[in-house]
Amino acid sequence: MSPVTLSGRVAWVFPDHFDVDQIVGVDNIRNSDPGVLRAACMASFAPDFAATVGAGDLLVAGRNFGYGHPHDQGMNAMISLGVAGVVAESFAPMFARSWEFLGLPLLACPGISAAVRRGDELTVEWEDGLVGVTRTGATLRGIPPSAGAVATVRAGGWVALSLERTTGRPGRLGERDDGGGTG
Amino acid sequence: MRPQTLTQKIYTRTAGRRHVEVGEELVVRPDRIMTQQWPGYLESFIGHLKDRHGTDAVLDPDRYVVFIDHLVTRGDRDEDEQRAASVEWAKRTGVHIHDRIGIGHQVAAEMGYAVPGALVVHQDPHISGIGAFGSLGLGLFRRLLEPWTTGELVTTVPGSVRIELVGALPANVDGRDVLHHLIHRHGPDGFLGQVLEIGGPGLSSMTLADRQSLCGMVVFTGAESAVMDQDETALDFVEPLARTPVEAVTGDPHAEFIDRIEVDLGQVSPMVALPGSSVAEHIVPIGDAVGTPVQRGYIGSCSSGRYEDLEAAAKILAGRRVAPGFGLVVVPTSEAIRARAERSGLVALLSAAGATVAGSSCDHCYGYAGPLLDDQTCISSGVLNVRGRMGSTRSEIYLGSAQTVAASALAGVLSDPRDPGLLA
Repeated sequence: MSPVTLSGRVAWVFPDHFDVDQIVGVDNIRNSDPGVLRAACMASFAPDFAATVGAGDLLVAGRNFGYGHPHDQGMNAMISLGVAGVVAESFAPMFARSWEFLGLPLLACPGISAAVRRGDELTVEWEDGLVGVTRTGATLRGIPPSAGAVATVRAGGWVALSLERTTGRPGRLGERDDGGGTG
Repeated sequence: MRPQTLTQKIYTRTAGRRHVEVGEELVVRPDRIMTQQWPGYLESFIGHLKDRHGTDAVLDPDRYVVFIDHLVTRGDRDEDEQRAASVEWAKRTGVHIHDRIGIGHQVAAEMGYAVPGALVVHQDPHISGIGAFGSLGLGLFRRLLEPWTTGELVTTVPGSVRIELVGALPANVDGRDVLHHLIHRHGPDGFLGQVLEIGGPGLSSMTLADRQSLCGMVVFTGAESAVMDQDETALDFVEPLARTPVEAVTGDPHAEFIDRIEVDLGQVSPMVALPGSSVAEHIVPIGDAVGTPVQRGYIGSCSSGRYEDLEAAAKILAGRRVAPGFGLVVVPTSEAIRARAERSGLVALLSAAGATVAGSSCDHCYGYAGPLLDDQTCISSGVLNVRGRMGSTRSEIYLGSAQTVAASALAGVLSDPRDPGLLA
C-alpha cells in the first residue's frame, strides 16, 4: 500500500489548548444530526466557514490540540465537511489516541502554527512526518507516526484494521463507529 | 539491565517483556477493562461484538468491569430498560457489574480492583484517580473498543515525571488545590503524554481522598495518568478489599525521569478554575475571585465527594445555614461513603445547613440531574467547567475544592475557606 500523503488547503489555524467542543459550540455537543453539525461548524468564528471547506482540507493547530473532554461532534462536523487530517504543534494524548483509532491522520509538528496561515496549501508526507508549505517553500519536520498509527490510518480506522486481521480482507475504508460523547 | 520507572515496570509486566523503553510501541494486556453504562460506550461495544464477531461475549470476562453510575437519577422507563439490559448482559456473559453503588472510579477501589501495579483501562480519563493506590489507570475514550474486543491494547510507553511532595497541606486546602497549583505552575500541557509518579515525604500527610482527587484530575495537566507510591495508609485500604495479591510497587532506584519536581504542600493555597476550562490562565487564587455571586453549589464527583470532603465541608457548614436561596447539593462519591456519612451524622449536619444530600452517581456533574438554569453561576467540585456542562449553556461554572464550595454556599459569593471565621 502506498504511503499516506495529504495535500490540501489549511481550513483553519487553531490556537494552543483548543477545546474542540467549541467547533460546533456547546449547544450542539450532544447533537448527532450531521446536517446541524455541518451548519454549526465554526459558525461563531466565521459564519461562512462550512461553505469554504473543501474535500482534503487540513486543520493546523497550536499546542495540546483537543484539550479537555473532547466530544466527537466537532471533529465529526469537520470530517463531514471534507477535512482529511490535522497538523498541530502537539495533541492532547486522549484526543490523539481516539482520532487515530478512527483513522484520521494526525501529525505533531513543532513550529507549524507560526509557519502557516489560513488558506495555505500544504503537502504532508504523513508517514515520514514532513510538511511542505507551498507559499513559502518551507519544509517542516514533524514527528513521524508510530507503526501502529500507520497501520490504523492506512486501513481507515481500527475497526477496519481488526476486520482485515480477522478475515484477511480489507475492511471498509473510512468506516467509523459513531455515537460517542460522554457524561 | 537499565533501571525502570514504576510506569515502565507496569508496561513491562503487562507486555510480557523483560524491559521496555520509553516511546516504544507495544501490545499490553490490561489487568482490568472497565466502562460505564452509556449508550455510546457499553451499548456500542456490545453491539460491535454482536455485529462483527457474532457473539456479545467477551473473551475473558473476569477482567471486564461495568459500572452503572450514569443515567440513574430520573427513575424513568428509559433508565430502567437500559439498566436491565446491561445487568442481564453482564450476568449472562460473566462480566462484573456494579449497579448504582457509586461512581466507578471510586467503586473500582472499594471493590478491590485498584491494587498496586495494576494496569486498568476505562473510557474515561478520571480513572487515573486509582493512581492513589499505585494502579495505573488509562482513559481511552472510544479506543476502549480495542481492548474490549481483543483483550489487548497497542500503545506507546509514556515517559514519567517524578513529583516529590514535601510539607503538609494547610487547613481547608486539599488535593484539588494541589492539582490547580500544578496547572497554574506548569500549564495545561506541562506534562503532555507523561505519567506523574508522585511520592516524597509529604505524601503521607495527604488523605486518600486528597490523593484520589489529585490523581483523578491530572488529565488537565496534559498527563497520561498518575501513580503514587504506596504508604501504609494506601496499603491498609487496599489489602482487605483486594481481589488479587497485594504487593507495594516502586520504580528502580536511578530510573530516568523526564523531570523531577518538588511541590511544597505548605505553599499550596485554595484556587479556582474560572468558567470555560482549566487552562492555566483560568486558574486563579481564590482571592482573585472572592465576592463573585454564586447561586448554586455542588460537592461531589469522582474527584471530590469522599468522606473526608464531606467532613471538611460539614466543619465549615456546621451550625450555619447556606445563603438564602442558595442551592447546595452534596453527592457522595459512593453509596458506602454516603452510608458512613449517615452513620456518623455528617448527612444530618449537612442537611441542617440547607444542603440536599443525594444518592451517589455521576449525574449532577454533567447536568443530567439538577441542571443549572439560565444565568445561574455554580461553584462546583465537579470535573469540568465548559459552558453547558451542568445544564444551561447560559450558566457558568467555577471549579474549586469541597471546602471552597461550602464557604461560598454560606456567603452566596465565592469565598476563601481559610477565612478565620470558618476555621474556628
